[in-house]
Amino acid sequence: MAVPRAKELINEPSCGHKQKDKAACRKAPEPGSSSGGCAFDGATIALVPIADAAHLVHGPIACWGNAWGSRNSLSSGPSLYRTAFTTDLSENDIVMGGEEKLFRAILEIAGRYSPKALFVYLTCVPASTGEDIESVCKKASRKTGLPVIPVMAPGFVGSKVLGTRVAGDTLLRRVIGTREPKETTPFDIALIGEYNVSGELWDILPVFTKLGIRVLSKITGDGRFEEVATAHRAKLSVLICSNALINLAGGLEERYGIPFVEGSFFGLKETNGLLLRIVERLGDAALIEKTRAFTQAMTSQTLQTLEPIRKRLFGKRAVLYTGGVKSWSVISALKDLGMEVIATSTRKSTEQDIAKAKELLGDRGVLLTRASGGELLELVRTRGADMLIAGGRNQYVALKSRIPFLDVNQERMRGYAGYKGLIRLAKDVDRALANPVWRLVLEPAPWEAAVAGELAAEV
Amino acid sequence: MDTGKTNAPLGIKDHVELFQEERYQKSFEAKRAASEMPCEEDVLKISEWTKTKEYKEKNFAREAAVINPAKACQPLGAVLCSLGFEGTLPFVHGSQGCVAYFRTYFARHFKEPIAAVSSSMTEDAAVFGGLSNMIEGLGNAYALYKPQMIAVSTTCMAEVIGDDLNAFIKNAKEQGAVPEDLPVPFAHTPSFVGSHVTGYDNMLKGILQALSEARPKGSPNGKVNIIPGFDTYPANIREVKRMLKAFGIEATILADTSDVVDSPNTGDYQLYPAGTPLEEALDAQNASATLALQRYSTLKTLEWVSQNWAQQKTLALRPIGVKGTDAFMEALSEITGKPIPEELEKERGRLLDAMTDSSAWIHGKRFAIYGDPDLVLGLTSFLMELGAEPAHVLCTNGDKEFTKEAEYLLSSNPFGASGKVYTGKDLWHLRSLLFTEPVDFFIGNAHGKYLQRDTGTPLVRIGFPIFDRHHLHRYPILGYQGALNVLTMVVNTVLDELDRKTNVPGKTDISFDLIR
Repeated sequence: MAVPRAKELINEPSCGHKQKDKAACRKAPEPGSSSGGCAFDGATIALVPIADAAHLVHGPIACWGNAWGSRNSLSSGPSLYRTAFTTDLSENDIVMGGEEKLFRAILEIAGRYSPKALFVYLTCVPASTGEDIESVCKKASRKTGLPVIPVMAPGFVGSKVLGTRVAGDTLLRRVIGTREPKETTPFDIALIGEYNVSGELWDILPVFTKLGIRVLSKITGDGRFEEVATAHRAKLSVLICSNALINLAGGLEERYGIPFVEGSFFGLKETNGLLLRIVERLGDAALIEKTRAFTQAMTSQTLQTLEPIRKRLFGKRAVLYTGGVKSWSVISALKDLGMEVIATSTRKSTEQDIAKAKELLGDRGVLLTRASGGELLELVRTRGADMLIAGGRNQYVALKSRIPFLDVNQERMRGYAGYKGLIRLAKDVDRALANPVWRLVLEPAPWEAAVAGELAAEV
Repeated sequence: MDTGKTNAPLGIKDHVELFQEERYQKSFEAKRAASEMPCEEDVLKISEWTKTKEYKEKNFAREAAVINPAKACQPLGAVLCSLGFEGTLPFVHGSQGCVAYFRTYFARHFKEPIAAVSSSMTEDAAVFGGLSNMIEGLGNAYALYKPQMIAVSTTCMAEVIGDDLNAFIKNAKEQGAVPEDLPVPFAHTPSFVGSHVTGYDNMLKGILQALSEARPKGSPNGKVNIIPGFDTYPANIREVKRMLKAFGIEATILADTSDVVDSPNTGDYQLYPAGTPLEEALDAQNASATLALQRYSTLKTLEWVSQNWAQQKTLALRPIGVKGTDAFMEALSEITGKPIPEELEKERGRLLDAMTDSSAWIHGKRFAIYGDPDLVLGLTSFLMELGAEPAHVLCTNGDKEFTKEAEYLLSSNPFGASGKVYTGKDLWHLRSLLFTEPVDFFIGNAHGKYLQRDTGTPLVRIGFPIFDRHHLHRYPILGYQGALNVLTMVVNTVLDELDRKTNVPGKTDISFDLIR
C-alpha cells in the first residue's frame, strides 16, 4: 500500500477529539449500512476548487466517471477545474501497470492546457496494485516544469474527512511555501475550508475588504494555485470547517508559527464572533475598534431587514441533519431567525462542536449521532417539527414524506454565509415552509374528503 | 396566508444575478490581471486554435488522458438493475465511496431517494480479502433494511484482489449472517471492464440465474418476459406496459424500475416502493419468450436465457422511432398470435401525421448524437426517418460490435451517408468535431451543456445523466408515443433556435414569425 501518511493523519494532534475518541476520526464505516463518501471524495472536494489547476484522476472510470462536475464550487476566473481528466484504466492497463499511461496522460494535459499545476489523485485500484505514482509525478514534473502533485487518498483508506485531511497534508507538504506573495500586509489571512459553494465566499470577501483585512490565500474556494502556495506568509489562518482541515491549520502553526482561529459564518452571532476573534488575534487596536462598530452596524441593519420575515418564522421548529461545524452554527443562524431547532446531528463533529450544539439546543433538544432517512422522519413527526434542514441525500426522503425541506449542504442553491447569506437563508426557509404545494399534498383529494365526510355522517 | 413572497423587501440577490453586476465583474477582471492570467487576446487566440483542424488532429491523437468521459461504471448499472426487483437491496462489495456516488448520481437524475449499501472495504480488507466485510455487511444489511433479496455486485477493489463472491455468500449463509433461503444473487462487475451497461447485464444475468436455480422449471405460463435494459426513463417501462395491455399480453418486466425511481407522493417514504414481484421473476423461466428492448446491455443475459430457458423466442429489439417500434409490434404479434391492436395502430398513425407536420423543419438538419449504445442507435435511426442527417455518432462505451452496427445503419440510409461513428471517444473529442465539422443540433446528456456553451450548438437533452433539467425521465421515448415526445423535443429545439436567431428588434427580426 502506498499511503502511509493517511494513517498518521487520523492521529492529528490539533484534532479536537480526545485520544479515547479517535475512533470517531478513524470511523471505519459499518459494512452493510448506507455510507457516505470515501477518502478520494474528500480529497477532491478539498482540492478541485483550485480553479487554474488540472485535476487528473488515476484509476478506472468509476471514480471520476460517476463524480465529475458534481460540486458547485464557483470560480471567478479559470474554469479548467471543471474539465474532467482521468486515465480511465482498463483491465489491460491494470495487468500491465498504469504508470506509463499516467505519465503520458500528464504530458498530454500539460502540453494541451498549460495548467498552473497538476493534481494527480490516486484511487483504490492503482493503490492496491502498488503503483508508484509519486515517482511518476516527480518524473513528469521534471519533464514539464510544472508542479505535478500526487494526492495519496485512495477511497479505501477511510472516510471523506480523512481524505480532506490528506488533501490538507498534501497542500502543507507539497504546495504551501513554494511561492512568495508579491507583497504582504499586516492583515493577511488564509481562509481555510471555505469552498465557495454557490458563491458563498463572495458574500464574505467584501466584509474583509471593508475592514481592511486581506485574504492572502483562499483554501480552496475560488482558489488559484499560486495564492494557495503563498499561505505560509499569512499572519493568521481562519478555519471555517474545523475538523476536516484542522491538520492544515495546525501544520501552518507548527511550521510557520501562524496561529489560527476557528469559526463559522452562519448566522449573525457566529459571523460577528468570528470577525472579532480574527481582529483580536491580529491585535491591532484600531482594527478591533472598527470591527466592533462594523459588526454592530451590520447586526442592526440585518435585523431590520429580517424583521418582516422573522415574524413569520418565529417559533417554527426544525430538525437539522448536517455535520461538523454546521451541526451547531446553523442552529445559531436559525435562532437568529427566531426559529427553534429540536434536533441536530453530530456527524463529523468534534467535541467542541458537540458542546456548542448542546448549549444551543437547550435541555429539550436531541443530539443525533447517526440517523437513517426513516429515523429522521420519525423524529420530525413525533416532535412536531415544521421542516427538515439537511443535505441532498435526505432531500427526497423528506419530500416523499411531505415534509418541507431545505438543503444546507454542498448542493445548496444559494449561499447562506455572512450577513447577506443569513437574509438569503431566511428567505429560503420562509419559502420552503410557505410553498402552496404543501397544502395540496397535505389535503386529501376531494373525493377522499367526500368519502371521509360520508363516513362521518353515517357514524 | 404566508406566501413566502419576500423578494422586494429583502432585496438580496443570489449568485446567478449578483455576480453579473458591474462592480463584481470589474473586481473579477482586476483579479484576473493581478493573478497574472494570460491576457484576453491570448486566451482568445488559444480558444480559436482549439476550434481548428490542426487541434482536432492533436486531440484525436491523444491516447492516455480521457477528458470528459460519457460513461459510468459497471456497479452503477448493477444497482439500477437491482432496484427493479421487489424488496431488493443493492449491495456493492468494495469501497464505500463508490456506493455514495451511485446514490447521489441516481438521486440527482431521478430526484428520488435511492437505497443501496456497501460492504465498506477498507485498507485491511484490501490486504486480507473482503470475506469478513461481506459476512458482516450482509448480516447488518439484512438486519437493518429487511430486504427480500440482496443483489451483490462489486467495485474494482474487490475485483483486483479477486474476491470469490460465490464462496463468500455461501460462507455468510453457513455462518447465519442471512437466512439460508434468502436469495443473494451476485455478479462480478469490475469497473475497469465495460461500462454501466455491462454491469446491468451482468447483474440481471446473476439475478435470473439465482432465481431459476431456486425453483425447478414448471409448466409454460403463456407470458412474455420484457427486459428494458439500462433504461433511465421509468416512463418507458410504463409505456411498454400500456402497449402490452392494449395487446392483451401478460408480461413480466425484468427489471421493473417504474414506481421505484418515480414513486407517487403518498406521504410515506418506502425503502422498497415497487419492482418486479419476486414470485413473477421466479416464474419468468416458464414464459414463452423473452424480449429485450436494448441489445448491448443484455448480451450476456439473453445468451444465458436462450441457453437455459429454452423458450420459443429470445430476441433483442430497439423500439425507438417508427421502424424500431414496428419491429417490436410485429414480434409481439408473432409470439402471441394476437393482432396489432387498433389503439396502437391509431397511435402510429398520429405519430406519422405529426412527423409529416414537422419533418420540413427537420429535413436536412445535421445532428451529432452521443450516449449509450442502444439509445444512440435508436435515435440515429429515428432522426433519419425524419430526414435529419446524423453526422457524428459518438459512443464512449461502445464496442466493435456497436461500431459495425452503427456503420451499417448509416450506410444503409442516404441520410446517413455523411455520418461517421466514433466509438470509445469522449466529449472533448466531440468538442473538436462540433467545431471542425459543425452540426445544427446535438443530442446528449446534461454534460452536453458545456459543449453547447463552447460551440453554440443547441442541445436536445436525451440520455443519462440529466441533472440540470427536471422530469424528462417522466416522459417516454420508447414506442410511438415516445417517438412523438422525441419529435416534439427535436422540432421545438429547432424552432426555439430559429426564434433565438431572429429575435433582435430591428436587426434580425425580419423572420420572427408567429406561424412556424
